[in-house]
Amino acid sequence: MVKILLSILALLVISSLTVFSQTRSDEWRYEGPRVGLDLSRFLLNSMQSGKTTGWEIQGDIPYKGSLFPTFETGMQTMNDKHDIFHYKNSGNYARVGIDMNLGKFESLKDHDFVFIGARLGYSLFNQQTDSIYNSNYWGSTITSFPRRSMSANWAELLFGMKGEIFPNFFFGWSLRAKLLLAVTKDAHIKPYVIPGIGNTSGGTPFDFSVGVYYRFPIFKSKKMPKPIKMGGAKHPGLNNGTDSNNPNSGQSGRGRQNYNSGN
Amino acid sequence: MRYFVIVGSLFALMLWSCNNGNRCYDSVDTLMVTSFSIDGFKTINSLVINGVNRSDLGDTLVNDSSSALTKSDNLPLSLTADSTGFVIKTNGTTDTLFIRHTMSLVFVSRYCGFAPDYVLLGCRHTSGIDSVKIFHPKVNPSSIQLAPNGQNITIYFSSARH
Repeated sequence: MVKILLSILALLVISSLTVFSQTRSDEWRYEGPRVGLDLSRFLLNSMQSGKTTGWEIQGDIPYKGSLFPTFETGMQTMNDKHDIFHYKNSGNYARVGIDMNLGKFESLKDHDFVFIGARLGYSLFNQQTDSIYNSNYWGSTITSFPRRSMSANWAELLFGMKGEIFPNFFFGWSLRAKLLLAVTKDAHIKPYVIPGIGNTSGGTPFDFSVGVYYRFPIFKSKKMPKPIKMGGAKHPGLNNGTDSNNPNSGQSGRGRQNYNSGN
Repeated sequence: MRYFVIVGSLFALMLWSCNNGNRCYDSVDTLMVTSFSIDGFKTINSLVINGVNRSDLGDTLVNDSSSALTKSDNLPLSLTADSTGFVIKTNGTTDTLFIRHTMSLVFVSRYCGFAPDYVLLGCRHTSGIDSVKIFHPKVNPSSIQLAPNGQNITIYFSSARH
């Protein structure tokens, strides 16, 4: 298994270096679907209380230069054993959404970007609680609630960065604010950890994701992707025939900055 | 850019690793807030409460010898049975009260676990108790916040017997 993984890794590095050498001479811009692994899922176990294990695969594909439709899927298992109860929870989840590059790429070889994004997620999981211990004046009891299938859906807002560390290899992170939209009701215990969302016992669950990605350089072009235009309505009367984006179109208004697109 | 990606990752990782501790800050004690009154004019000089069939040393729930027109105490309900019985000795007169209830466990928090949650259904009692009024049938960990202005039940003793 390890040999296979190493072989795939070596193949990816070789193909990347090949593409890298091509871009030096031909100055092509390579694009393609990007697939990666969320490393933070592996860190959960050591950084948070409770035995949480899981994995998550993330993928995106460029659309019109600065938009990146994304798909993320994974699984999570939690084994939270306390003196007074033992909670188990496991399930699968998926998210779909889009990331938007906030800046613009500086050159054909530039693929680093800062983004905001949104996701919609769905989780199918089950939970079980054993060894619930209670005691008072009248004595003590030990009870349990059997395994029950549940589902949840939620929305996320993201802010993050992705940078190309080596040709076609990316490293990135994102901060995520999550809003739980719906979860199956349970008379005894509201799930305090939901696969794909994380801890829901506080207010808005925040999460952090850090991953490594590989881009399959399938498409190539010599055109720079256009940045997303972020502007309000135009007011022709205020321009007086001048274009602040064009340094040759006349004098700009006071305080305005000339913007050279670089193309 | 790559510098920002890596430094940002480390910074966010540091923030993310913070958690709000692993201690229980909520109450999981579920007690029925009970007030006692004879007729509103007669003082209660002594009040001793035990559970039914619990008369050993250390089994006394309440032992109050102060004089007052009304008294209020918090009483535990059974975790296993669907009724709880109390032996109440007021001004030297002994009565027995049985409260019928349902019980389920509700989750309080990850570090506090579960707490019993009751709904009072009714009661029966000996003749020294004139009546029992259920004001708030739901008994849960937040019931103790009803005191001192509110209570789950009020027990009115017969003035002729006390």
